[in-house]
Amino acid sequence: MAGNNSAREVHVAHPMLEWHDLTVAYGRRPVLWNVDFEIQDPCLFGIIGPNGAGKSTLLKASLDLVRRAGGTVRFWGQQLAEVRSKIAYVPQRETVDWDFPVSVMDVVRMGATSRLGWFQRGGKRERELARASLDHVGLADFANRQIGKLSGGQQQRVFLARALAREAEIYLLDEPMAGVDAGSQEQIFNILAELRDQGKLVIAVHHDIRTAAEWFDAVALVDMRLVAAGPTAEVLTPENLTMTYSGRLSILDEIGEAVERGGRTP
Amino acid sequence: MIHLAVAIAFLPYNTLVVAAGVAAVGCAAGVIGTFGVLRKRALVGDAAAHATLVGVACALLLTGQRDLAVLLVGGLLSAMVAIVLLVLIRKFTRTRDDAATAIVLSVSFGLGITLISGMVSRGIPGSGGLERFLLGHTASLTATDALLLGTVSVVGVLCIVVGLKEATMVAFDPDFAAAAGWPAATLDLVLIALIAVMVVVGLPAAGAVLVTALVVIPPAVARQWTERLVPMLVIAGAVGLLSALGGVVLSSLAVQVPTGPVVVLVATAFLILSILVAPCRGILWRTRSVSGLSSVSLTKTEVGAATPRVMERKL
Repeated sequence: MAGNNSAREVHVAHPMLEWHDLTVAYGRRPVLWNVDFEIQDPCLFGIIGPNGAGKSTLLKASLDLVRRAGGTVRFWGQQLAEVRSKIAYVPQRETVDWDFPVSVMDVVRMGATSRLGWFQRGGKRERELARASLDHVGLADFANRQIGKLSGGQQQRVFLARALAREAEIYLLDEPMAGVDAGSQEQIFNILAELRDQGKLVIAVHHDIRTAAEWFDAVALVDMRLVAAGPTAEVLTPENLTMTYSGRLSILDEIGEAVERGGRTP
Repeated sequence: MIHLAVAIAFLPYNTLVVAAGVAAVGCAAGVIGTFGVLRKRALVGDAAAHATLVGVACALLLTGQRDLAVLLVGGLLSAMVAIVLLVLIRKFTRTRDDAATAIVLSVSFGLGITLISGMVSRGIPGSGGLERFLLGHTASLTATDALLLGTVSVVGVLCIVVGLKEATMVAFDPDFAAAAGWPAATLDLVLIALIAVMVVVGLPAAGAVLVTALVVIPPAVARQWTERLVPMLVIAGAVGLLSALGGVVLSSLAVQVPTGPVVVLVATAFLILSILVAPCRGILWRTRSVSGLSSVSLTKTEVGAATPRVMERKL
């Protein structure tokens, strides 16, 4: 933890996370175009936008999981390679095979042991860390269950616990609410808010504008380009939402509701 | 089992050494194949297997040596070339993955067969023995050959034992591993290379056509019996070992039967048994627990009921 503190002191002038002119293309088709914004302080941050807007790609490009055609990403002003141990990633749930022969505990332990060096299996400390993370998301009773025998919300919480076991400072979550029932959603949001209160930066790709207005401190509206970024109440305006979702009639109603609701949120 | 043990005890020394070497190959193929299957690389292994014939034939043609090590190195090289071609086709054409695999598999196999047939018809020395790489023929192996196969297999298993954490993390969730700083793509390549090596050392036992079975069937058997990775590796290794051993012994008892088909049949016997009677996943076990006709305890019924339908379909 000493390393984390010193990192904060030295790089106090730098934002926690910043993107400059980030451009990503799959083949010739641009997915993200000149995305440029920064997140100064710990908060619960939402990346919002329609399907295929490049939200997941934004996370993946930040973590070097997809190649950037241009632009830079800085964590505390540093390159990713220098700060990896302080970052945890939660991929989309459907990217893994849930029939994989591992228990809930095995998966969470992967988070703890992912911080160790080559061929180090980890020991008591990693086990305890995994146990605590599992406890944190309320799944301690399911430790020995095969991961396929869980509900969507439980699976999502296993992924969250694996990220928690990395004891990171920045959490990047890809659609953590996909296929999650309302109860689990509230539970997951509560854990994320708790992390924020502990001074962590939590960034989640999210598609539901209603809950976004309710939970996120700040958001970025993305539709290939960055439409707007900043405090939730300032960004989720009718104009911005129309710009982001323009031409997508099916969700205009949802926007209307969200704006109404967003207006009520202090 | 007792009959098998008696049969083994009366085998000549050379056959015993060969049986031990081939058993090691079966064990390693099961262990490495487990990661191959979990990472969904079974078809890549099959394409690599079919491509080995080209390299084996070329090795004999270029060096004039019939030494097994030389032939297998040739086979490994052509398997690697096939894998590289596969990656290139996937990357630079719009061909779908399964079609690309089928193309590489059939083209390289066709080329291999053409080469071998041509060499046999021209009477090139040693070319007659190449046919054993098609369906496997362990009777022609020497003790030295078996030692080579066994050594490579032991090294292969050691790789998995040493890199278990890394292999598991990348096989389960490559994106998470990569985000944590692990070279997921490189580790994936290492896994594919290990599969290629296992396919090559499995050639004398099962042949290019059937060797994939050694990599795929034992993990499938093991998955029926366990929900955890380490037990799955152990069971797959044991099933691979017994299948290979059974294949060698049974085919040596029956004159003029290639080893490969017998190995596959023994492995398949394990698979059928497991699909029927394995706890939780086995068909018999499930019908019992679902219909409630027998006195299955309540907890077992619950576990059976909680098994997602997806698993049933996978059978």
